[in-house]
Amino acid sequence: MSIETRHLAVRIGRRAILSDVHLTAQPGQVTAIVGPNGSGKTTLLKALAGDLAFTGDIRINGVALTAMKPWQAAVHRAVLPQSTALSFPYTVREIVKLGLMSGRSGARDDETAQLPERALARVDLAGFAGRFYQELSGGEQQRVQLARVLCQVWRPVLDGRPRYLLLDEPVSSLDIKHQLIIMNIAAEFAAAGGGVIAILHDLNLTARFADHVAMMHHGSLVAAGPVAEVLTDNLVSDVFECRIRVSALPAGGMPFVLPQSAEI
Amino acid sequence: MALGEQTDPAPAGRLINAEGDRTTRARIAILLLVGLYCVLCAISLGSGASDASLWDVVHDWLRPGGAGADVLSQRDRVIIQDIRLPRIVLGSLVGAALAVSGAVMQGLFRNPLADPGIVGVASGAGLGAITVIVLGGTVLGPVVGLLGIYALPLAAFCGGLATTMLLYRVATRRGQTSIATMLLAGIALAAMAGAFSGVLVYLADDQQLRDLTFWGLGSLAGSTWSKIWAAGPIIAAALLATPFLARGLDGMVLGEAAANHLGIPVQRVKNAAIVAVAAATGASVAVAGGIGFIGIVVPHLLRLTIGPEHRYLLPASALLGACLLLVADAISRMVVAPAELPIGIVTAAIGAPFFLWILLRQRGLLDL
Repeated sequence: MSIETRHLAVRIGRRAILSDVHLTAQPGQVTAIVGPNGSGKTTLLKALAGDLAFTGDIRINGVALTAMKPWQAAVHRAVLPQSTALSFPYTVREIVKLGLMSGRSGARDDETAQLPERALARVDLAGFAGRFYQELSGGEQQRVQLARVLCQVWRPVLDGRPRYLLLDEPVSSLDIKHQLIIMNIAAEFAAAGGGVIAILHDLNLTARFADHVAMMHHGSLVAAGPVAEVLTDNLVSDVFECRIRVSALPAGGMPFVLPQSAEI
Repeated sequence: MALGEQTDPAPAGRLINAEGDRTTRARIAILLLVGLYCVLCAISLGSGASDASLWDVVHDWLRPGGAGADVLSQRDRVIIQDIRLPRIVLGSLVGAALAVSGAVMQGLFRNPLADPGIVGVASGAGLGAITVIVLGGTVLGPVVGLLGIYALPLAAFCGGLATTMLLYRVATRRGQTSIATMLLAGIALAAMAGAFSGVLVYLADDQQLRDLTFWGLGSLAGSTWSKIWAAGPIIAAALLATPFLARGLDGMVLGEAAANHLGIPVQRVKNAAIVAVAAATGASVAVAGGIGFIGIVVPHLLRLTIGPEHRYLLPASALLGACLLLVADAISRMVVAPAELPIGIVTAAIGAPFFLWILLRQRGLLDL
């Protein structure tokens, strides 16, 4: 039971975007995908989500992704895109409710009607149900989408099988409080038995919340393992192409703000 | 206000209602539209050049052969049954078809400006229809003979289908529809269809030319039961298929990839939507000609009032489209009575400024 890729490769036109990626994301863990821009993080997530043609093998809980119909895959995983623009005046509730479309949220029947409100409360948007999606800020829209995604896989484990959240930069346009709220949701989802795969740009958030880090570079997976093994001076410096010392205090008493030292 | 004193503020901005749920409102709106439609049907049935009134009609139907049997003359009865009634039925079918086509197409392209009339689908359907009108007697004689009354709507359907598929192919890359490309491709496709139609018009004889001109302006004047039998089943099939697309179209508003993540068979929904739009538009164009803007005005107004959820938007569009076309038809008969204006002129006169208004409101949202 896991999401597993073997010899995963993606080409767009003649260019190889991903090559020979062996990734395993265990349920019960937050797996962070990190790497510089253009290293293939988003392509990897899109391949896992079933958006791209690929070669090699992707298995979700042992079943080949290519053998799944859209509605079967929708039971096993939910996907949060980077940003979603709408051209019709949907209310927040109407958008969140779309997550219930697959009909396998796992919530009890008497809970389902209230699920959008509960999901919104979890992402700190209680009271926003009646607002127009288009009138929200980028960060608020991102959290509405997360609420929708949460509705789709409300119970992290369904019929004895773990379910997965695939999050593409879930905190990219959020302030620090909401970064923590969202990452806490991911951590709770994993703690309850589900799996989370998240692209993260912030190595500090990664250090605080990830159980497993997959580091991408030039379309390959160059390192995977616990935070302490992957976030090392040499690896980080090589991949991000600048000299970085992990866990070193800034010189000259310059202030710094870390999510590691924040609580909500 | 000092820090720490802040209570959690109620989110500012427009609220539909605290729950953001417009289900009740949508249901009431649909009921009201049903009522409005019945009233309009009754008015249309009782008004026209003949002075047979609604009351006479009802009286005649309730007591056939009874004491009041001579309320309606034989002539009036023919007028009611073979002129007014088919006109109402055909007007309703065409209005519903055009409005639902617009709503489905806007859902498919995720944009409120997509409309079969504006992006060339109606022109493609028109080309199909003109081909049959002009060449039906000569080159295409055997085929048209075989298909009978269905030749015209089927040809229009094929023309509409080809245009819609081409348009979607051109305007959509990797699941993202470019609105600018869609509108521009629509112009190009309409021009192409226009050029081919022009060649056919050039070949047409005098009688065909007259037919083509009036048909092109859009009119319900020639409504007959045989036209209804020809186009009605196609339109009805398309309309009855659309409720099954509602869920898929709702998911598609987030984009094709996200719809797929929600478990929607995107390709199937797209194919079905394209066929439904082509069938409904094609059959309407075949029997009523170029009636524009219904498909853009109706869904837009409804989205503002009942929201964009297709489960309610599609049936409400069908009803409001039928209502609007009955009203436009009444106007077209009244302004220059006893002659009548082609209805396409009326809908364009109402719809074109409305389209501009939407464009102005959307300015800045579109990166044209």
